[in-house]
Amino acid sequence: MNSTVKAIIWLAAVLIVLVAAYYFIGRPTEGEVIKVGFIGPLTGDAASYGEPERNVVQLAIEEINGAGGVKGKKLEVIYEDGKCNGKDAANAMQKLVSVDKVKVVLGGFCSSESLAAVPIAQENKVFLLSLGSSSPDLTGISTFFARTYPSDASQGAVLAEVAFNQKKWKTVAFVQEQLDYPLGIYKAFSANFEKLGGKVFKEEFPEGTTDFRSVLTKLRAAKPDAVFVDTQTPAAAERVLKQIKDLKWRPMLLISDAVSGHKETVEKNADLLEGALAAEFGVDPTNPKFDQLAKAYQVKHNTELPFQSYSQTEYDGVYMVKDAIEAVGYDAEKIAEWFRTVKDWSGASGLVTIGDDGDRDGGHVPKIIVKGKVEKLQ
Amino acid sequence: MQIVPQLVLNSLIAGSVYALMALGFNLAYNTTKFFNLAHGVMAAIGGYAVFFFTRSWGLVLVPSVILGVVVAGLAGYLLDKVVYLPLRRGRASNTVLLVASLGAFTALQAVIAIFFTSQFRTLAGGSPIVYDLFGGAITQVQLLIAIGAVAGLLFLSWLLKATTFGKAVRAIGDDEEVARIVGINTNKIIGYVFFISSTLAGLVGILVGFDTGIEPIMGMGLLLKGVIASIVGGVGNVYGGFLGAYLLGLVENFGIWKLSGEWKDAIAFGLLIIFLLFRPKGIIQK
Repeated sequence: MNSTVKAIIWLAAVLIVLVAAYYFIGRPTEGEVIKVGFIGPLTGDAASYGEPERNVVQLAIEEINGAGGVKGKKLEVIYEDGKCNGKDAANAMQKLVSVDKVKVVLGGFCSSESLAAVPIAQENKVFLLSLGSSSPDLTGISTFFARTYPSDASQGAVLAEVAFNQKKWKTVAFVQEQLDYPLGIYKAFSANFEKLGGKVFKEEFPEGTTDFRSVLTKLRAAKPDAVFVDTQTPAAAERVLKQIKDLKWRPMLLISDAVSGHKETVEKNADLLEGALAAEFGVDPTNPKFDQLAKAYQVKHNTELPFQSYSQTEYDGVYMVKDAIEAVGYDAEKIAEWFRTVKDWSGASGLVTIGDDGDRDGGHVPKIIVKGKVEKLQ
Repeated sequence: MQIVPQLVLNSLIAGSVYALMALGFNLAYNTTKFFNLAHGVMAAIGGYAVFFFTRSWGLVLVPSVILGVVVAGLAGYLLDKVVYLPLRRGRASNTVLLVASLGAFTALQAVIAIFFTSQFRTLAGGSPIVYDLFGGAITQVQLLIAIGAVAGLLFLSWLLKATTFGKAVRAIGDDEEVARIVGINTNKIIGYVFFISSTLAGLVGILVGFDTGIEPIMGMGLLLKGVIASIVGGVGNVYGGFLGAYLLGLVENFGIWKLSGEWKDAIAFGLLIIFLLFRPKGIIQK
């Protein structure tokens, strides 16, 4: 056949593929099922809390569907991997919005993910509910964003107060990972600590750094009263802690709540972390919904509920979305408005109230690590 | 702790890692004259091999390490036989080989991530002993890295100077065509060169694994530092890369004393640029 015929056949093939793709992929969500999106770190270091997040969300979804679903329809989640960074989270958000055409997205989990996804949510009028992002930069960022987890403005303030007034530390050195969540904690802590009269200095490091020796040597020479190991993930904190130990250094420590929430890391480094401070969003084990969540997780995954401060807000977030859809229907703007009106909603994390700025009311509680266990500070 | 001795020790440790990478990279580059990016992933292969042998097969430390190093070497040897050799036979330019090595690097890295997940892992079995040296602290593993670097240098210089194999390698490095005419089986020798260079890279991966840990993407960072060390020290001879590595270690670790820690990589590449501008043949000119 001659080249004109060939060209026409190629063109036809391309057109058929495009039409089929649009038809099968681009179709809006069907009636029988309500689809919501999910963005969280499913791979990489942060998967240590991303995977449990997915498990908790899935647990809540199964409970909801088992009890009849939302208005008779089944709730389904499309899971996307944000990899704990802005670029991948933005891609995931874009895909969920344009291809899957969801109206609600549970995510991001890492603050970096949420900060990148919010503009896309705003532009496309999709509601974004974060179940764990705590950067103060997310406060009041958009009417289409809310979170069930409180801002780190509280974590920084609480730790600064305890460090200065109770522990009488005057200088604190930060080893801070260059990501939004650790940066938010640093900013909140140093603002409060310096206002009280203390001094803070820091060394930043990019994500994925493995050689902290000279950074730590430098901080050690400055003789701080305490060192804040401010990392995004437990894995990064472990690397820093090991190298502190290798230098035969035993400073007083503070750690971020993403690290203190990881039982294995705290136990493994119990010796170095003895007496270390952290501030976590409080967990009430006597709360019946929390207890139910913990038991259900244990049964399904054969392991104790991990990252308990986060698990409770993750569980609540899914149920809140269910209530929102039942109240106002699957409409992003109405759901966003509904969330702003949430006051004393009873959940596994206690009474949830969401302010006008989208933040969950409530604060962090100071904790201390004793013999490898995180306990309330007296 | 005194800060200057500790920084000197830190430079020694970092320099030794870069030196071992540079030794392996230099060996292959001098012989084949193309930039083998896959050299980086051989370090990851070595580290993960030991991880596999100690965790899944329950092997004791020393046999695991030896096996791990051999596995890395074999990986390099097979890569040459399967990818580079056919390309060389087809008279491929160095750019093509570079791109092929990049492809191999990416593919092998992805395979490791599939089998072992991209989580950061530490190799168990590293001793926790910390020595006090001249006012600074250094662990036993880190001391082993330094010893390993020197041992690597001695081994390579002996190999290249005192053996017939070494003479053949140097001949191919001088001029591959002429070496072939003279009767050297260049393809076989090059295969062995890739084996040896990859064992050195694998050793780096294993030692770094015991000191800090392994993750699938560890190869690129190690490779880049090794390459900077080679270029700064003088591509073309074994001692150059070795010197360049320790210079790099010193500049990096003392550089962040006064600057902030996040400038470390910027300092390393800054050093490279300065050398490329003012002394492109490196410290030791061939």
